[in-house]
Amino acid sequence: MPPAIELENLRKVFRVRGRAHGISGSVRALFAPTTREVVAVDDVSFAIEPGERVAFVGPNGAGKSTTLKVLSGILQPSAGRVRVLALEPGRERTKLAFRIGAVFGQRSQLWSHLPAADTFDLLARIYELAPADYRQRRAELVASFEIAEVIEKPVRQLSLGERMRCELVASLLHRPEILFLDEPTIGLDVVAKATIRDLLRERGRRDGCTLLLTSHDTGDMEGVCERVLVIHRGRLLLDRPIEALRKSFIPMKRISVVTEEAEVHVGLPGVRRLPSRPHRTELEVDLALIGVDRVVAAIVAGARVLDLSVEDPPMEEIVTAIYRGAAPVEGRK
Amino acid sequence: MSGARLAVSTQKYLAIARASARRAFAERAVLAGRVVFLGVILFIFSRIWETVLARGALTVSGAGKAELIWYLAVTEWCVLSVPPVFLAIESDVRSGDIACRLVRPVSYVGAQLAEALGETALRLLVLGPTGAAIAFALAGGWPADPWGLLLAAPLGALASALAVLSTAAIGLSAFWIVDTSPIYWIWQKLAFVLGGLLLPLELYPDWLRALARFSPFPAMLWGPGRMAFGFAPGAALETLLELLAWSALVAAGLAWLANRARLRLTVNGG
Repeated sequence: MPPAIELENLRKVFRVRGRAHGISGSVRALFAPTTREVVAVDDVSFAIEPGERVAFVGPNGAGKSTTLKVLSGILQPSAGRVRVLALEPGRERTKLAFRIGAVFGQRSQLWSHLPAADTFDLLARIYELAPADYRQRRAELVASFEIAEVIEKPVRQLSLGERMRCELVASLLHRPEILFLDEPTIGLDVVAKATIRDLLRERGRRDGCTLLLTSHDTGDMEGVCERVLVIHRGRLLLDRPIEALRKSFIPMKRISVVTEEAEVHVGLPGVRRLPSRPHRTELEVDLALIGVDRVVAAIVAGARVLDLSVEDPPMEEIVTAIYRGAAPVEGRK
Repeated sequence: MSGARLAVSTQKYLAIARASARRAFAERAVLAGRVVFLGVILFIFSRIWETVLARGALTVSGAGKAELIWYLAVTEWCVLSVPPVFLAIESDVRSGDIACRLVRPVSYVGAQLAEALGETALRLLVLGPTGAAIAFALAGGWPADPWGLLLAAPLGALASALAVLSTAAIGLSAFWIVDTSPIYWIWQKLAFVLGGLLLPLELYPDWLRALARFSPFPAMLWGPGRMAFGFAPGAALETLLELLAWSALVAAGLAWLANRARLRLTVNGG
């Protein structure tokens, strides 16, 4: 089976009009406008297999949205080869549109003055769904996303979390083989984010749908995806499974221990005490120097432990380190 | 395109138009505002016509106060039934919402036109009877030959459709210039003046009337409006042919602009 998404040396260049200074500059620009080229995506290559759930992360202006727009046929590539479901998106946009879905967290595809159910009916027409098939699919998704109570209310009266669940149902009605998600949890509270992530992961598994998700929230990446692509300044910095990313870029573990004693002292090389509170000690362990098991054994030997947890540093820190150009752990050794 | 494919495609755009009409109906305050505006305009001009005609300062052959009020009712009905599609397109381009719409298996411009025409249809249906009721009350009855109004109805609907096409083309200029309002402002003022929104073209100087006939505006306003002066199938046919010709021309221009706009999007970014 061919990859769901295949990019080879994708390059996208935009022409941007130069800014003129002063009134005379503005008048000159009117008759002789100057333009400069901005490379939004530069020599990016990757392939995504059917059913994979992939996070596409990067800071603002990294080229994520441009790549997504090229993949969905909205923008034409300046150079390189792009295949989505074996189609050329720029030339076969309408054909491709029947097989992909898209959710843009900051934009709505629902008609705000009408109930979401009306938009669903309209989308069924647009995607040419057979009435019986549409009714069955809609019932299944409405139950799965628990939106039966809200789909008859005008969309403008819904909470952001309810609206986002309706947006997802709207984009899944036609059983897309690929779902592009651009910041699907932006602005949501913690509970709503967790719900959306669970639903996306579950739906991806159940439908076998390929997910490509862009987000600034590393929780989305961890909660939904199994692989991550990191892009920065238009170039692909990293492509690996989430777990491997953790292992490669996590030289440290954090141990949090609650004891009857006010403080715990572990005099071992590679163990650093972080700012702590009485009875609750935070330690950072350098895995290159010592194993977590030895540190835990030392803690238990020296104090009466009430609670203990071992954690990785937040994914946010890992991704930031990648943007800054940190080499993976194995690379540093 | 095969017949079956064309039917499916047409149904899509009809579904968009229906949804748009439902949305416009849900925004009742906007509709009510248009009805009130129509009432105010007709009231003011009914008083003006009364004074002007009483002094004998103005004569339009075959037209008294009632006919002039009905003329204005028809032209304002055409104008007020057209939603600001140019603003919808401009907003999509400015905000980037256009990306959301381009991932669907429908033409962006086609969908925008379907939305605007759906809303236009609803406005025509609401403003038609209410405008007629207001005109009837202010004019003290029907025009001398009311059968012409039967011809004004389809001509007015077609004229509104031509206005939708034209303003959609103005909206597409957002791909080149950020703010389309100045272009719309010029277009609207030309339509009002050259189209004869307030005064029938019969009252214009010859040179201005001749100049106006080179533009689509007389067909959009004066053509349907003059049906209030009497049942004139010949004049109605002339207006119909002009409306069809201008619609074809503007539609071709719109298609050309849409292609250029797509190229512009891909070259200069979303």
